[in-house]
Amino acid sequence: MTAMLIDNGNITKFLDSVARDRLLVAPVREEDNVVMFRHVTGGEPVCLDYLNASVSPREMFFPATEKMFAFSTADGGLQPAEPAKGKRVLFGARPCDVKAILSIDPVFSGDFPDPLYLDKREKTTIVALACTNPSHRCFCATFGVDPAGAEGADLLLTQLESCYLAEAITPKGNDLLEAYRQFFSTASGGHAAEKNRLAGAAAQKVNKLDTGGIKELLDENFELPYWEELALKCLNCGICTYICPTCHCFNIMDFTRGGTGGVRCRTWDSCMFMNFTRMAGGHNPRPTRKERLRNRFMHKLKYHLDRYNLPGCVGCGRCAGACPANIDIRQIIKELREVAQNGR
Amino acid sequence: MIAIEAELKKAAADLLSSGEAQMVLGFGPGSEATRTTPVFITGAGDTEKLVFNPFCVNNLVKYLIDLKDYPGKIAICVKGCDSRAVNRLLQDKQVDRNKVFILGLPCPGLLDPEKAEAVIDPSARLLTAEMEKDGVKITTDRGNYSLPAGFFMDKCRRCAGRNPVVYDRLVGQPLRENETGDDFADVKNIEELPPEEKNAYWDRQFSRCLRCYACRNVCPACSCRECVFDRAEPGWVARASNLSNNTAFHLVRAFHVAGRCVDCGECQRVCPVHIPVGILNRKILMDIKQMYDEPTPGISPDRTPVLGGFHTGDPDEFM
Repeated sequence: MTAMLIDNGNITKFLDSVARDRLLVAPVREEDNVVMFRHVTGGEPVCLDYLNASVSPREMFFPATEKMFAFSTADGGLQPAEPAKGKRVLFGARPCDVKAILSIDPVFSGDFPDPLYLDKREKTTIVALACTNPSHRCFCATFGVDPAGAEGADLLLTQLESCYLAEAITPKGNDLLEAYRQFFSTASGGHAAEKNRLAGAAAQKVNKLDTGGIKELLDENFELPYWEELALKCLNCGICTYICPTCHCFNIMDFTRGGTGGVRCRTWDSCMFMNFTRMAGGHNPRPTRKERLRNRFMHKLKYHLDRYNLPGCVGCGRCAGACPANIDIRQIIKELREVAQNGR
Repeated sequence: MIAIEAELKKAAADLLSSGEAQMVLGFGPGSEATRTTPVFITGAGDTEKLVFNPFCVNNLVKYLIDLKDYPGKIAICVKGCDSRAVNRLLQDKQVDRNKVFILGLPCPGLLDPEKAEAVIDPSARLLTAEMEKDGVKITTDRGNYSLPAGFFMDKCRRCAGRNPVVYDRLVGQPLRENETGDDFADVKNIEELPPEEKNAYWDRQFSRCLRCYACRNVCPACSCRECVFDRAEPGWVARASNLSNNTAFHLVRAFHVAGRCVDCGECQRVCPVHIPVGILNRKILMDIKQMYDEPTPGISPDRTPVLGGFHTGDPDEFM
């Protein structure tokens, strides 16, 4: 596939041009300490010097609130949600977040293919932005993610000294390069070598934790006193699940104004919330924080592997930084290994 | 701050070994140098885990609500700001005074972990933290750092209550209070904006809200058994995340804790997308101070909450 160069100065022109033809979602610095993936229409500054966005870009395919269909008693009909219009580009997703999309793909494309998700997925070209300077909290290598890798991306951008190397990975990525060829120039072997050097350095820098024995421990032990200790400090808020690139739970609700019609939406939901598993009769199989907290980490470290043989965590480090009580999945991995070894 | 750690550990060990308390709720070392984590200690031998440093950001009082049915007595570590929450919970009879032992920790100010982590080696172990004229000097096993005042958490820079207002034992010496006090500059900066700009400001903030409810879950004034935002029937505020619902959520939340919010700043600290939610509470707090000449809630244990009291001679006819 093609590898091209794009000058720093041309990136904005390229993005403005893309935004005119396609729906473009890119990282935008909203506050000093907040970077969000936002729909940009051209002209707005896109943020390229960020470690990672505050919230993962999964929202591009799995929005926080999404209309499934409208219903009406007046004409007795259902009006399914419109399919996504035209081509879309997700620009600047980090390799961990792209890998996360691969991890949740089978959730939405198994025995019951999800048209809302798959439609957006199919129409989207993913432009990944390689991490050349991972943060101290990044541990993607633990789950087989290459911080400067292209797995799952259609096009991979890597920032070099004064330009970006753009490597088309898939035909979709190649099409994007071809469509906006005027902003790109030819790359040389030297550029590829520079990229490989940066990618190698990033892979060296990023943390790789040892998860050996954890899956086996969790396979054998649903009950561990460890979860009780940990749950004492959990506030049961939804931060970890909502900023996570692989969490994908949702609720389905009807919203009506007046009696004759309304819309059915799905909204993000969180296994941390008390009413997540509460049933119609009031019974709750996860009655306390212990069961809810355990579920999240079992999902990350066991259930997703059981179901799809894919990691439920990609080591982006978001939850470790944002948890108000400093519940840190890196430490949980370390401590579960100790439990596995010492049987405590 | 770290200087009083030894005294704190000793006090905690004494409480547990004498049987005066069955659990010590304090701060333990976190997963990084700039983080601490709540610890729930039940064995006197484990009190070595306790730390007290400029990253002890959590208001642990919230956990007293969770531990309401704990059979024993809980010794809880509180800073000045946290201590107001203890008084509030006592006023609301959420906590039995006989079941808590309050370890008061005078606090010269906390550092913003997000700012400090850009400077301090995350794997370092903190050794000392000493206040300097305009900042704090941190020594660690991996190097020393002089952090200017800009590294303090905003709430600490305007803090007028470094010393706990309620305690059974004060650890360390009381600190001199900050004379300048709270000028509510954060509130006024927004209040002074023209209406359109103010509206645009909050629209931008609320659009970002994930409805993760961390601001609610961390709040010591939020003690409802079932929150109105969790109710499906009737669904007062729709779960769908959009500007309209998010705005409703934030305004209802702020009004619900009006007169009960102790201004501990936890809601603002925990927000994963940095919505300055505390400013909403502080706007109400500022009004309470200006209109009713009432101090920050929780300052004293026996004061009637400003929206919970009335005079029979009130000239308003509804009385």
